[in-house]
Amino acid sequence: MYAAAKVELSRCTGCKLCILACPDPNVICFLADDKKVKVDVTRCKGCGLCVAVCPKAALALEALTESEPART
Amino acid sequence: MTKQMFRIAPGFEEIMPQEYRDLVTHGPYDRNVGVADLGTFKELLEEHPLCAGCGLALSLRLFLASLPAPADTVVVGSTGCSAIAFPQVGLHNIHGLFGNQNAIASGLKRALKLRFPDQPKDVVVVAGDGATADIGLEMVMHSWFRGENIATVMLDNEAYANTGGQESGMSPRGTVLNMAPTGKKFEKVAMPEIAREAGCAYVATTSPLHARRFEKAIRRAILVARDVGSTYVQVFCPCPTNYKFRPDETLSVIRKREKEGVFQYREYITPQAQEYLAAVEGEKQ
Repeated sequence: MYAAAKVELSRCTGCKLCILACPDPNVICFLADDKKVKVDVTRCKGCGLCVAVCPKAALALEALTESEPART
Repeated sequence: MTKQMFRIAPGFEEIMPQEYRDLVTHGPYDRNVGVADLGTFKELLEEHPLCAGCGLALSLRLFLASLPAPADTVVVGSTGCSAIAFPQVGLHNIHGLFGNQNAIASGLKRALKLRFPDQPKDVVVVAGDGATADIGLEMVMHSWFRGENIATVMLDNEAYANTGGQESGMSPRGTVLNMAPTGKKFEKVAMPEIAREAGCAYVATTSPLHARRFEKAIRRAILVARDVGSTYVQVFCPCPTNYKFRPDETLSVIRKREKEGVFQYREYITPQAQEYLAAVEGEKQ
């Protein structure tokens, strides 16, 4: 089973702490227009560091479904 | 060593991988970006094979975002976890033998000074604790004695992490690892003190927990190395795989060590480097 971080957009304040905690590059992108973050689930390794640092509990680790498979 | 080499030759755009095209169109070259801009540009590091929650991978990512002039930087690496990630880095980089990274960097910097007398070229050594404090200590120290214009960054994960977990000189006393079952018998090697006494103009200890402070230390080390002398930055980046904590605890392990007072952020700057930094940092503002 592959797990990846998912963002609850209504809770995200765009503080970018998750971006500064993620050990993998180009996984969490900042959407300048919405002031929110977006996770590329095909790159996420599911370590949970972003979940641990998010002050608003906007991130959570979830299992990937078949419609969004991990990159092989 | 020209920025043109990153650009794609006309007609070849279609066949280049998307990641490369992203690097050319919105990479950090020739743009004044830093760690605060992460998430808004294509990073120099691509998907790497380091473990989930790896503190060293996070440090490497922040390091690459902190470079003052990525297109004019050459990184010299050495055997270790960081070497596994370097093939995925969009930057000139050289893989040294285990331990001779500072000797390679010294020669490279001297050659670059002759070849590009008017353009500063940064040579940065990025190696693990094994390559810096154990196997390569002799060559690291001699590059400092000679005052070579290179920055040395040690990614200190406190173990030989990709060979099963042997203790290194930088493991704390008492550390028990897979291949060090009886526990380490002596203290962590005092590398910052050694660097200071060996003549480094700038010495700092930092961690990826505070990204801004981390960026400041890396930038200062590289800038001082350009004109003043050797510099050293020690980055504490814990290893979840060998120290057996959960991948999401990497940053909390640093915070815990900070609270216990075992890990401290320190900075040593010689008066000459201080003067230089005041001039350079004053110019930016």
